[in-house]
Amino acid sequence: MAYAFDFASVLEYREVLVDGTLKTLALTAIGTFFGLAVGILGAVSRAWKLAPFDRFFTVYVELIRNTPFLVQLFFIFFGLPSLGVQINEWQAAILAMVINLGAYTTEIIRAGIEATPKGQIEAAQSLAMGRAQIFRHVVLPPALLKVWPAICSQVVIVMLGSSVCSQIAAEELTFAANFIQSRNFRAFETYFVVTGMYFLLAIAVRQVMIQAGQRLIARRVK
Amino acid sequence: MALVHIDALHKHFGSNHVLKGIDLDIEEGQVIALIGRSGSGKSTLLRTINGLESFDDGCIEVDGERIHPHETDLRALRQKVGMVFQQFNLFPHLTAGQNVMLATRIVKKMPDAEARDLAKAMLLKVGLQDKFDAYPDQLSGGQQQRVAIARALAMQPRVLLCDEITSALDPELVNEVLAVVKNLAAEGITLIMVTHEMRFAREVGDKLVFMYQGRIHEAGDPQELFANPQTPELASFIGSIN
Repeated sequence: MAYAFDFASVLEYREVLVDGTLKTLALTAIGTFFGLAVGILGAVSRAWKLAPFDRFFTVYVELIRNTPFLVQLFFIFFGLPSLGVQINEWQAAILAMVINLGAYTTEIIRAGIEATPKGQIEAAQSLAMGRAQIFRHVVLPPALLKVWPAICSQVVIVMLGSSVCSQIAAEELTFAANFIQSRNFRAFETYFVVTGMYFLLAIAVRQVMIQAGQRLIARRVK
Repeated sequence: MALVHIDALHKHFGSNHVLKGIDLDIEEGQVIALIGRSGSGKSTLLRTINGLESFDDGCIEVDGERIHPHETDLRALRQKVGMVFQQFNLFPHLTAGQNVMLATRIVKKMPDAEARDLAKAMLLKVGLQDKFDAYPDQLSGGQQQRVAIARALAMQPRVLLCDEITSALDPELVNEVLAVVKNLAAEGITLIMVTHEMRFAREVGDKLVFMYQGRIHEAGDPQELFANPQTPELASFIGSIN
């Protein structure tokens, strides 16, 4: 039996799709910015054994890497209000993404920091640079550069993972898809289109990340 | 008063007693050549002078800045003591000019334009004025080492420590680095160098210090010591080199 495709019924909702896409991108951008900040702090704490933060980050990383993202999201969204912290679906989604990406990038960036040749640090010390200055100017830029491809991949993973935020009614792209197919009853076409959109988004985000890395930390385009 | 004063310095690496009571005075403008077999403690001694190695007993004083065993705040000392390493250790993500400027900008808080001018002057001093914008991986080993010397000099240290600075270089690149050091010596910069370049030590050094098993075994005028070593250990060391 032949299936009659009806993409027009999906395109009717293009504004919903665009809106969902923008929200997915916004979630990813904010999550990446703060997630990387957490990752850098976690990485230096662990690599340089800055007590007591190193222990905190060790537990945090293990906790996040060994539990599902959806459960982390529910934990935040349903758990925090029970503790008296009022939080909406967007705040919960962003917090979950930051916490999740922060844990993975802690480990990625730590590898970069630990690959710093000891002589580089000694040279900086001999120039009377302080610990924070050495980290900021001598250790961090080459470390980020070395692990940037892994960071780009992790950001794409987190962006794709943000689809589960639809489960707490954050109206991102997957939420938009659910909404559309519940109205037009064209689940196949709707998910066909949304799958393609995620695919293109992932490629675009990766390219933007690679370019950003070269602009912000790489010394030159090779 | 000596510029560098080292008094009864002891250091252990675990159960290994590597410096067994070093006393050494270095006057301003002197060029000291530290020689000895590997494991004799010469590099360790050099590294204690700017705090890259801690020590267990004794005292080091550089230009009035006194450090004690297990001192942790060494930044004041390190402003007075520059160091050049065997492996150059340039910062790979920065250009030659940025390598030289970095510490003057962030440690001495020098304004950008002034730091840039100083960096240019220092690169000129080592003959690399045209390499300001080159990255370390675009330079030869000898050029990298000369940038490292310029980087140390930009901080205007009272003493410059050189730790086997030609040992990692191809033979044909050794002379360009030694020529720079020779010029510095002629300008009156105080230099303490661990070296295997005996001819250079003899020509340029004001004082030769021979280390043997964690002690200063013999010290004095390089010409005299090379001609008439007073101990069999130095004689055998000189013999093994030549």
